[in-house]
Amino acid sequence: MAKLELSGIRKSFGATEVLKGIDLTVEHGEFVAFVGPSGCGKSTLLRLICGLDEITAGQMAIDGELVNDVPPAKRGIAMVFQSYALYPHMSVGDNMGYALRLAGTPREEIRARVEKAAKVLRIDSYLDRKPRQLSGGQRQRVAIGRAIVREPRIFLFDEPLSNLDASLRVEMRIEIARMKDRLGTTMVYVTHDQIEAMTLADKIVVLNAGRVEQVGSPLALYNTPQNRFVAGFIGSPRMNFMRLGAPGQGGRYAVAGGSVLVPQGLAATPAEIGVRPEHLELVPLDRPHALEGVVTMTEHLGSDTYAYVTLEGSEDMLVVRLSGENAVRRNARTGVAFDPEMAHVFGADGRTLASARPVALEAA
Amino acid sequence: MFDLSSTTAKVVFGLALLFIGFFLFFPLYWLVISSLKGNAELYQIIPTPAPVMPTLEHFANAITRGKLPMYLTNSLITSGASALLVTVLALYAGYSFAKYRYFGRQPVMLFMLSAQMFPFGLLLISIYPMMSSLNLLDTQLGLILSYIVFALPVSTYMLYSYFAQVPDELIDAARADGASDLRIFHTIVIPISIPPIVTVFLYSFMWSWNDLLYSMTLIVSDSKRTIGPGLLLTYLNEVNSDWGGAMAASLMASAPIVIAFMFLQRFFIQGVTAGAVK
Ligand SMILES: Nc1ncnc2c1ncn2[C@@H]1O[C@H](COP(=O)(O)OP(=O)(O)O)[C@@H](O)[C@H]1O
Ligand SMILES: [Mg+2]
Repeated sequence: MAKLELSGIRKSFGATEVLKGIDLTVEHGEFVAFVGPSGCGKSTLLRLICGLDEITAGQMAIDGELVNDVPPAKRGIAMVFQSYALYPHMSVGDNMGYALRLAGTPREEIRARVEKAAKVLRIDSYLDRKPRQLSGGQRQRVAIGRAIVREPRIFLFDEPLSNLDASLRVEMRIEIARMKDRLGTTMVYVTHDQIEAMTLADKIVVLNAGRVEQVGSPLALYNTPQNRFVAGFIGSPRMNFMRLGAPGQGGRYAVAGGSVLVPQGLAATPAEIGVRPEHLELVPLDRPHALEGVVTMTEHLGSDTYAYVTLEGSEDMLVVRLSGENAVRRNARTGVAFDPEMAHVFGADGRTLASARPVALEAA
Repeated sequence: MFDLSSTTAKVVFGLALLFIGFFLFFPLYWLVISSLKGNAELYQIIPTPAPVMPTLEHFANAITRGKLPMYLTNSLITSGASALLVTVLALYAGYSFAKYRYFGRQPVMLFMLSAQMFPFGLLLISIYPMMSSLNLLDTQLGLILSYIVFALPVSTYMLYSYFAQVPDELIDAARADGASDLRIFHTIVIPISIPPIVTVFLYSFMWSWNDLLYSMTLIVSDSKRTIGPGLLLTYLNEVNSDWGGAMAASLMASAPIVIAFMFLQRFFIQGVTAGAVK
């Protein structure tokens, strides 16, 4: 177990700055997920923590000890790579024991530790095989086993499940959740899969273009995103955004298909409102407080139905998530309503001005 | 594209192959049958297409009467040592070019490759005085060192291209496991690079083995002579009439390369990184 503290971490490759000042604390035994669009610097940050790349500026401490210049193996960190990076010429057992061999651990102890980890991961019958004789899921277990054997203070995972097919991914996700409970070790986990992040993490760090957009528990990010980026990034299908037109009287704003009442006295002029698909509903046209539009497309997932509604006088489509199988007629005119409690208001700069505050719908 | 299933295409390609095959293999065929013919048959005005009475006497003569075994041993030593040297140098140079970023990396690599563009004879003009001032003329060491120019540039490039494809994550994983750079190279990278290493070794061995010019120029003592000049001086002169011996000796001289290729060919087609990533 260890506490990890990053302050003002920057990383440049030549002239391009990839990380632009990261401040972050990961507590003892915490499971933290890094999420963000591809190329935002998640892997780069993980490599800095591991010690594979040099930190350009800023400080990094593990348990209060500055580790900027400590080599990877001395940091007590083990990393699981996206491609698994197993040594192809070594047996599974030798792969798992490589770090211990380098550290000069006695042969007997290496054997014992490798066998113990292998048993837990159910790869103990493959110890003599070469990586190429294993399936993708088994290779993934070996990669995790190689990290476990070292008994590190911190585990790092870089999109460990992204190469697995969907069903295996779910299985391994549960495996990792169990490992987290069993070991209680501090873990940092990079993923672009929301479900992985939401289900595994105690804390999610949303990164964008080399900066931290928001840090918080999965539900905090979902319920009270601090800006438009986080609001759009967390949640699937993503949040619907509606551009506000010119302000009218008493906080009334025109939007496509109707108008809304936005609370007054916000820190800045509201520019957009956002509502998640699961908080929208289709209502009869004669309902007074609703937006108007046409159902242009439907998707039937069995458990859910997604209705895509093009609002009156606009090209924008709203995604409405209806639970269960719903026989929505395509090309039908419909009303769209939402619970004002569930709407978010954003300023022109993307900052959240109000979350979970009443945004009332006006009659069209 | 060509439609290979049509009869015309089959005939055309068949003829083309036959034509190429004739030029490639007829000299070899002639070499083999001539070495097996007795002298009487060998000097007939109208040659026989195959030995009427095959005999191994030329082989026996070449081994026992001439200095063939000594020349072969000399060649084995010089070619083997220089191939080893080239392989080791190319390993480190290629890895450095492929996996490290430093100032001057690309110019140095281009400079090295450019050595391959000069005719070897031209390089010899500067190698000769170098060897002379190092007192390495007429020594096997001098020859071994000179042979480096044949294959080092291409060998370095071959290994460079291979190493460039070794996934960085593999190296990072070893680094995270606590291995030093050299240890990573020795315990991870080299073991997964056996096929290209064997290829490079054979390639440079072949160049040195087939050399005539350097050995003729840099070696004067008969006791240090390699197989190429040895054969030439033994059989190709005005007074020689032992064509059968020349053929048999040539066959034996090319045997090591052929045998090595036969035994090591499995390395060329093997993919070793399978299972490393993904
Ligand atoms: N070694 C490198 N040299 C130059 N640029 C790099 C290097 N590694 C990463 N980058 C750049 O840094 C950015 C962030 O990359 P990365 O951390 O891999 O993103 P991701 O969030 O997808 O893991 C990308 O734009 C990438 O091109
Ligand atoms: Mg990445």
